[in-house]
Amino acid sequence: MPINNSRISASDSRGFWSWLSSNQSYHSVSLFLIGTHRKRFIFLAAVPILWALVANFAPLLKMLEISFYEAYPLSKGREIVYTLDNWVEFFLLNVYTIPFLRSIVFSIILTISTLILTYPIAYFLAQHLPKSKQLLYLLILLIPFWVGEIIRTYAIMILLGNRGLINLILQFFGLIEKPIPFMYTYFSLGIGIVYLTSLYMLLPLYSILEQIPKNLLEASADLGAGPWTRFWRVTLPLSKDGIASGCTLVFLISMGFYAAPVMLGGPSSTMFSETIAGHFNVAADRWPVGAAFSSIMLISTLVIAATFLKIMGRGGKGIIR
Amino acid sequence: MKSKKITRRGVIKSGVATTVAVAAPTIWVPTIAASQSVNVWTYANFIPKDFKKEFEKETGIKIRERLVDDQGKEFNLLAAEKNNPTADICTVAGHRFSQFIDSELIAPLDTSRLKNWSTVNKIYSESDWSVVNGKKWGVPILSGAEVMGYNSDIVSKEEARSWDVMFGEKYKGQTALILQDMMSIVMLYLGYDGNMVAYLNDPAKAKSIVNEARDFLIKHKDKVRKYYDSGAEIQQMLINQDVVVCHAWSGSISKLIMDGFPAEMTIPKEGSYGFIYCYNIANNGPNTDNAYKFLDALLARPEIGANMTKASGYISTFKGSSKYLTDLERRTSSFTEEELAGLQFFRAEANKMKYSLVDPAVEVIKAA
Repeated sequence: MPINNSRISASDSRGFWSWLSSNQSYHSVSLFLIGTHRKRFIFLAAVPILWALVANFAPLLKMLEISFYEAYPLSKGREIVYTLDNWVEFFLLNVYTIPFLRSIVFSIILTISTLILTYPIAYFLAQHLPKSKQLLYLLILLIPFWVGEIIRTYAIMILLGNRGLINLILQFFGLIEKPIPFMYTYFSLGIGIVYLTSLYMLLPLYSILEQIPKNLLEASADLGAGPWTRFWRVTLPLSKDGIASGCTLVFLISMGFYAAPVMLGGPSSTMFSETIAGHFNVAADRWPVGAAFSSIMLISTLVIAATFLKIMGRGGKGIIR
Repeated sequence: MKSKKITRRGVIKSGVATTVAVAAPTIWVPTIAASQSVNVWTYANFIPKDFKKEFEKETGIKIRERLVDDQGKEFNLLAAEKNNPTADICTVAGHRFSQFIDSELIAPLDTSRLKNWSTVNKIYSESDWSVVNGKKWGVPILSGAEVMGYNSDIVSKEEARSWDVMFGEKYKGQTALILQDMMSIVMLYLGYDGNMVAYLNDPAKAKSIVNEARDFLIKHKDKVRKYYDSGAEIQQMLINQDVVVCHAWSGSISKLIMDGFPAEMTIPKEGSYGFIYCYNIANNGPNTDNAYKFLDALLARPEIGANMTKASGYISTFKGSSKYLTDLERRTSSFTEEELAGLQFFRAEANKMKYSLVDPAVEVIKAA
């Protein structure tokens, strides 16, 4: 819809805007740039969209480009040489494929664990609490997440350490003589990542579960369905979208976690993100290898997530539809 | 509620405002950074708080600290910023000079701009390693060593006399080490040259030695609770008794002892390596003049060196600084004659060959 400029007249008072309003070139340019609603949107959104592209996609493209370099950063006297060796190295040496596969399997297990732990909480919030109290309880659950990830990871270390709270309690009650070495194992890493990612599972589940009409469950109860049947045949199928979103988010985040594996993991629980970081931390022209491995991880996780969403999408038809 | 009409004037105003808001940081951030400040990349606690306050008050130059915890990471960060570094001063260990010099990341030191240069003990200021290509590089500030640290309530002094204790069954699962540095120590422990200078002309031998050290560490991987790479981590692990004996940099253990924790450190009989941290002028840094002012102020009084020892745990290179330390501080930041006999310094000549072999070996050990 064109801008109505019939109210602009040459008789406007002095000033910059008056001069601009009477300028023919200005009118032509503004008609071209913002003459319609669509054009106005594009004009206003151009800078933020450009910023999003530059800040998010440009670094990924640069990383992809570096993955084909022989060396980077380039030391004195060296020039850019393109090679596929960095990508091939991943497939040739099992010292890299082992942590990669280990990370995928571990992330899948963690995703399922997070789902099992948070689903009941989301269900209780959405289906059993009155609407007036849901927001309050949700905010209470969100409080730990107001603190940064590193601080929360340290909290896990304080909890699980040899002189941490759990060992102190167990020793106080005489249940153990020596501390149980929880830390720097798959156990501590798993607990940490489930804790750090539980919010990303809880919120999508809650938002889907709270949309399920109660009268559906009442109707199925009237038809003779017991609680378990109502859950399996009504609630669970209707919450598939939330499960899909939550699982995708948690899987993607846990695959890419770096700080938690470094702080909570041990020698036998090296995640692929640590392997990638190792290439960026050593001064031996290994950035291109790290970039190649990052690209491989990015592509793999996106393929896995997309496949999962596709599968969930096929089976995601609810009773209402 | 009445919806607001989008007018041409409003579109222009908001477009200009958005552009200014987005572009402004690119203008004022460099302006502020380029004003009275000096950007120092250094390890935690290397700049004493008192000195920092005093320097900023007297000169009006703000010290902007960026913490680094590894020479390799620092090299990569500087190399990525190469032509426009955000550092004026970086902390480079003496045995890493040639790598930074070859990549033109640091500038030679002009000692004529430092009227307090003579504060540095001649053992360090006149040493061979500080002269490369006929020029002097870096102000030596702190000296340290790769040591064995241990909880003295649990591990005895006799047990700690040998690196064997790290690979024995008694403390299985209660040890920690810095993998890359430990490779050099294991090579020394196995009877080889951990600096690899002796094998510069025999790369095949160098490779077989690295492989032997790698396989040794894989064989004993079950003894290790954690591979770590920062001083704060090992301090936390010792305090929590997650580990009772470790390979560490001397500063971290020395600080723990100074703070009253029942820890000790030693250089085991098989030997170990020492290193010197230096403050180097970054090439093409934005505030080189301020960098020299900072360095000169740091060298002004030996008690500043003592404060650096108190804060970091490392041994100051400043003449006369030890008399400003307490007996405990002096004890924890020094070694016996017997220990010093087994200490040699890291050397740079074979670094390129050494790290090209050691770094991939480290990844193999982690993945094993």
